[in-house]
Amino acid sequence: MELLPQALVDGIMLGAIYIIIAIAFSLVYGVMHIIDFAVGEWIMLGAFGGFYLYQWTRIEPILLLPSVFVVFAAIGYLFQPLIHRVLSGRRGNPLLMGLVFTFGLSLMFRGLAQTFFGFYSLSIPSRFSNGSFFFQNGGLSVTISSVRLTGLVYALAITGILHYLLKHTDFGLGVRALAQNREAAGLMGVNNKRTSAYVYAIYVGISAMTGVLLGMILSLSAKMGPDYTTFAFFVVVLAGMGYLAGVPAAAFLLGIIQSFFLIYLDPGYTLLAVFAILYTILLVSPRGLFGKGV
Amino acid sequence: MAEPILEVDNLTKSFGGLTAVNEVSFQVRPREIVGLIGPNGAGKTTLFNVVSGYYAPSRGRVLFHGKDISGKTPYALAGRGIGRTFQVVKPFPGLSVLENVIIASFLRHPKKARAEEHAWKVLEFTGLADRAHQSAASLTLAGRKRLEIGKALALEPTFLLLDEVVAGLNPTEVDHTIDLILKLRDQGITILIVEHIMRVIMRISDRLVVLNFGQKIAEGTPAEVAKDPGVVEAYLGGEKG
Amino acid sequence: MKDRRLPGYLLVFVAMLLVPAVVHDTFLLRVFTEAVMWIGLAVTFDVLAGYTGYLNFGHSAFFGIGAYTTAILMVRAGWPFAPAAALGGAAAGLGALIAGFPTLRLRGAYFAIATWALARAIQQGVLMMGITGGPDGMRLPALLSPGFFYYVMLGVVGVTFFAYWFLLERAPFGLKLKAIREDEQGAKALGLNPTRLKIQAFVLSAVPTGIIGGVFAYWVTFIDPASTLGDLVSDQALVMVVFGGMGTLVGPVIGAVLIFAFKTVFWAYLSDYEVLYLIILGGVIAASVVFLPDGVLGVLPQRRKGVKDHG
Repeated sequence: MELLPQALVDGIMLGAIYIIIAIAFSLVYGVMHIIDFAVGEWIMLGAFGGFYLYQWTRIEPILLLPSVFVVFAAIGYLFQPLIHRVLSGRRGNPLLMGLVFTFGLSLMFRGLAQTFFGFYSLSIPSRFSNGSFFFQNGGLSVTISSVRLTGLVYALAITGILHYLLKHTDFGLGVRALAQNREAAGLMGVNNKRTSAYVYAIYVGISAMTGVLLGMILSLSAKMGPDYTTFAFFVVVLAGMGYLAGVPAAAFLLGIIQSFFLIYLDPGYTLLAVFAILYTILLVSPRGLFGKGV
Repeated sequence: MAEPILEVDNLTKSFGGLTAVNEVSFQVRPREIVGLIGPNGAGKTTLFNVVSGYYAPSRGRVLFHGKDISGKTPYALAGRGIGRTFQVVKPFPGLSVLENVIIASFLRHPKKARAEEHAWKVLEFTGLADRAHQSAASLTLAGRKRLEIGKALALEPTFLLLDEVVAGLNPTEVDHTIDLILKLRDQGITILIVEHIMRVIMRISDRLVVLNFGQKIAEGTPAEVAKDPGVVEAYLGGEKG
Repeated sequence: MKDRRLPGYLLVFVAMLLVPAVVHDTFLLRVFTEAVMWIGLAVTFDVLAGYTGYLNFGHSAFFGIGAYTTAILMVRAGWPFAPAAALGGAAAGLGALIAGFPTLRLRGAYFAIATWALARAIQQGVLMMGITGGPDGMRLPALLSPGFFYYVMLGVVGVTFFAYWFLLERAPFGLKLKAIREDEQGAKALGLNPTRLKIQAFVLSAVPTGIIGGVFAYWVTFIDPASTLGDLVSDQALVMVVFGGMGTLVGPVIGAVLIFAFKTVFWAYLSDYEVLYLIILGGVIAASVVFLPDGVLGVLPQRRKGVKDHG
């Protein structure tokens, strides 16, 4: 039981990062109506981008985050028209086709990553990597590593920026309008293609930055993508699909559950255990934890 | 006379803070054509969705042939004899017109051969027989609206919910559809119809129910309703006639 | 709507029955057996993917469940092959039933990721369990008879194909599934119960896959989580179906044959470049979506009457 607070804290730290991934993922779904199977791969590519950028410039990785964002946002912006083409095909069920397409992309990215980056696990060193804060109260003690703390700060910052963007700018208004009713938004002058392109760019940029952080806190490898795609999905379904406000709670819950299993159970069973929980929750409440999903 | 086929009893439907349908009550008697009108956003389609099983009421009930059907699934209601069309038509785009109607025919004719026979009859009745093998996606809007009605008909309903089946059609097509609807009533089908085009709804409805902001503000024959001051005011906001 | 293609299918099937009489090289016969297996995996995948519009990225789980059930029954309980494989199919069907209930309520695309995650979870689980031999896999009793296995595989896949032909092209079931694919909400208004139909399709897709897995296990004599529960089975089935033409019985067959042929040639000459195969698979999937919306089948000249099947 002494490990309980530590598990909780670790879980919250992890959960904070999942929030970002899930929000970006949900945003893309809401606006472009596509479920990007390659979300984990964007994270992975961002992580490698940060890794090599660090190797090249030797600048503290945290300071590299904005440049990673810019580079990957640009890539995302260029990619979006291709996705748009897939979604507006005449074939029925564009959502499904979008999924198949991004699945194909994820295979390609993973294959290319393994080709160019090899199979090994790496990590991005940071001057925060070795520091930590130690709290003690009575018999309970908790260690918070500095680098995880930076992850939390990052998550809060991004959430804050996104919130501001969505709620207090014209652009954000357009995004929310598009997500609610595409036709009506178009009639009112919201440029679907351009807004979608920006949203996708932001999403790729954020995912890439998150990848760098994960590379600092945990590790990175060419094969890391699927795990994060899985978690993004878990959070979004648990929160209730389309219900953005449910994401933080779901993300924290997931982070805590994962943390617990890592500490108390064989790590190999983590995925199975998490899935079992998700399964049970879905049985009871198919529209997510708050019953507000679609 | 006979008991009402449909009775909406103090029906309320809310979504979070928004109340789309607010304590609405009315009845539809057998073989009537009742028009449901009101400005945009008045709650008409929501009402349809509740009656056809897509939403469950927040409060109140819906009675069909005297039995409470609140909260039943759309497919169960189809089995009980309720058919509906959708405002935004829902053809099965990747399938042919014939296949679309065959699928609807399966409800009453589980075997494929019978279903196909029945489908052909429906296609001829709705004038789509010449386009039977075209893909539903390739139909014009008028064709798709007719297909929508055809599919609902194939269910052999006793009660039909028609949601804006003439919107977007040219005058000839509109008249054609009106004739179709009247023929349906002659065959014994009771109809609840939502429509914005005034001349249509005034012409074919026996009675009208007027909604505004989710509440019923008037009910009566078209002549009575047209003179109702509340109705006039509700429409002064600018509705096409 | 009489299907004039049935005699053609029967002819092809009879021709395939004669293969062992003509092909005496055991290696070649094994290639044929594997080709038949992939036809089966592609067709079973298409039931849910093409007809119903739900992508089961965890298709490999059914294959693996069938393989492992058969292996466990034969090795740990001494069962003979036929009942073991049959139970493998039943286990896969049961798995579909259990997994289907919560996941089929999700919209199509979310279902895809849910099944994908479930398959990964199952793979992890099997890696951990003792009864399955963990990462070391299991070794089955050896039966060296390529002819036997060819006929068993052909029999299973053949029966599956013709059963599917009846259920999906002849009986109302296939059209009902397509209605779900085209417009699930609209289908409800026509009296169709989507959840029930989806679960039926799911189980229909799972049972033959499980049996095929069982046959595979006995045939290759050694199974492990990587070979039977890995992504590759699902990924390849997906490529075959998307490339060949979804929602048609023949599309997946064509796709299976073409992709399998490519794979065999690739592995013969480029087996060092395993990763390249992954890239190519991904590329073919992505390119098919963009350039071949109806698959290869959609490009072939229409020999059937009318353009009724594809919009």
